[in-house]
Amino acid sequence: MAEPLIKIESVVKQYTRDTQVLTVLDGLSLEVEKGDFVALMGPSGSGKTTLLNLIAGIDRPTRGRIVVGDAEVSAMGEGALAKWRSENVGFIFQLYNLVPVLTAFENVELPLLLTRLTKKERRKQTETALGVVGLSDRMDHYPRQLSGGQEQRVAIARAIATDPALLVADEPTGDLDAKSGEEILVLLERLHAEFGKTIVMVTHDPKAAARAHRLVHLDKGVLKEDVRAKGEKGEIGIAAAAAIAAGR
Amino acid sequence: MKILPLILKNLLRKKTRSALTIASIVLPLFVICLLGTLLRALEADPSGGKGMYRLIVRHKVSITNWLPGAYDPKIRTLPGVTEAVRMQWFGGAYIDQSAKNQFARFSVTDVDRFLRVYDEVSVVEGSEADWVGDRSGLLVGRQLMKRYGWRLGQKVSFKGDIYPITLELTVRAVFAGPDESGVYFHHAAIEEALPRVKGYVGWYWLKTASVADTERIPRQIDAMFENSSAPTRTETEKEFQSMWVSMLGNVKLLVGSITTIIGVVILLIAANTMAMAARERVTEIAVLRVLGFTKEKVLGLVLGESFALSMIGGGLGLGLFVLLLPGFREGLVNSPMGAFAAGIRLFPEVLALGFGVTFAVGLLAGLVPAVRSAQRPITEGLRQVA
Repeated sequence: MAEPLIKIESVVKQYTRDTQVLTVLDGLSLEVEKGDFVALMGPSGSGKTTLLNLIAGIDRPTRGRIVVGDAEVSAMGEGALAKWRSENVGFIFQLYNLVPVLTAFENVELPLLLTRLTKKERRKQTETALGVVGLSDRMDHYPRQLSGGQEQRVAIARAIATDPALLVADEPTGDLDAKSGEEILVLLERLHAEFGKTIVMVTHDPKAAARAHRLVHLDKGVLKEDVRAKGEKGEIGIAAAAAIAAGR
Repeated sequence: MKILPLILKNLLRKKTRSALTIASIVLPLFVICLLGTLLRALEADPSGGKGMYRLIVRHKVSITNWLPGAYDPKIRTLPGVTEAVRMQWFGGAYIDQSAKNQFARFSVTDVDRFLRVYDEVSVVEGSEADWVGDRSGLLVGRQLMKRYGWRLGQKVSFKGDIYPITLELTVRAVFAGPDESGVYFHHAAIEEALPRVKGYVGWYWLKTASVADTERIPRQIDAMFENSSAPTRTETEKEFQSMWVSMLGNVKLLVGSITTIIGVVILLIAANTMAMAARERVTEIAVLRVLGFTKEKVLGLVLGESFALSMIGGGLGLGLFVLLLPGFREGLVNSPMGAFAAGIRLFPEVLALGFGVTFAVGLLAGLVPAVRSAQRPITEGLRQVA
């Protein structure tokens, strides 16, 4: 068994709304191996996105411990966490979230502005990232000049620009048509298979979840099911994903 | 500096809004600088420092009360007084009493001494001797000559108001100096037409040997005439000028209040723009923080945008002011307010005020949106996507 990249130990996440305390994650424990491709599924409000945010270091648990690689992200300060995110995590959003006034090239270059790389090095790394997602010919296009699928590919290029070990994706195909969604899933598979990225993906879509190698099903903030792939290609498969999504 | 292109691109995001905000900074800043210059010009010494060696002796009660001309030998012979000249305000009207034909008209008793006291001016057309030698001679400021197209030898008629007479004078000399908006003629011309005013003057204009004399002599002169029927008040030229300015009311307070109000209005407009810009970008800023931008960087990004906006507006406003100031001065010279134009120039402190307002607008307009953007939790910012 490969070493775990992510260790989540008895994590509780609570929000306070007015006087009411909402428990979104309730003592969750989970380990994700390095190089794994995990799909997080579950009904709305089950805590999928909250868990993803905690793993990515953009939110903090109320209790419990989260370790990613050598870093205990649950114990890091704001500044250190920001630096850690810039070096170790690539985030892919459902709505791409590109900066509209920047070209594809400039959007991908954004996280590299936080590094000590020279302009030339940044250019090379940005071009490489755009090349990986197949958009070398769209570098100077603004987001409004791109299709939804292309925008999401630019967002993926931005996520891999600093070459992080971990990619977290929140419904990456949720806003795309079937064809574009399929292209994005192929790209994520490639990043996992060819570049060895560890991917944690939140999805409602069984087709997307089927591409993962492991499927974690959350419900009401607790781990309901944790399924590992048995298929030839190491994927969960559509039947298993659909069954879990349907609550079996 | 790597985020500078992002700051500039953000400025161009809503071009019309940015342009209108910049325009709303340019014009008020221009007005602030202009008001500041007028205020400074009122306080300025147009004599180029020569006023430090001059005193004015007037009646203790008011400038409208006359002094005996007989004080002249006593004042002139005081140690430290190098020259003295007796003068009077004529007033009156040229052509008519309309504002466009207003300019200062003075009579001088001791014409041969006049240019030794008023020594920052020089005669550029005709000669001092021509003016001194003609009892109906007129010494005219160069700007005024230009304004009315007068020529040497031309007859000019002034209808009196304080004095019920009409003076027919001849242009004999033209002077150039800081204030070229007035005319000077022989007091004898008034005395001949109106003998009852003979022996009285409006004020004495003295030149002193040193600054120490300028400080000492006023007490000496005022003490000398304290128990006479016409006690004096002797003051420096600057104090005398301040008296005229104070007759306009508390100009400093008025101009200062207007400037403050304009400054606050610019601030509110810029702050509104920055608040809108930050509000529209809540998600985008959250995404930047996900990518690793620290709170400090986000603060810098929003504040930088606010500064860029105010600096562009402020720079254009100051540039416009520097460019148009000579034209404004020229326009004022040829107006009834011509005397005020003498002190107008590019004051470094006014430019500093302009920069200060620009800096303050940039800082204060962006501060609240910047702090809010930096402090907002990332997850809260991302939730606004949905």
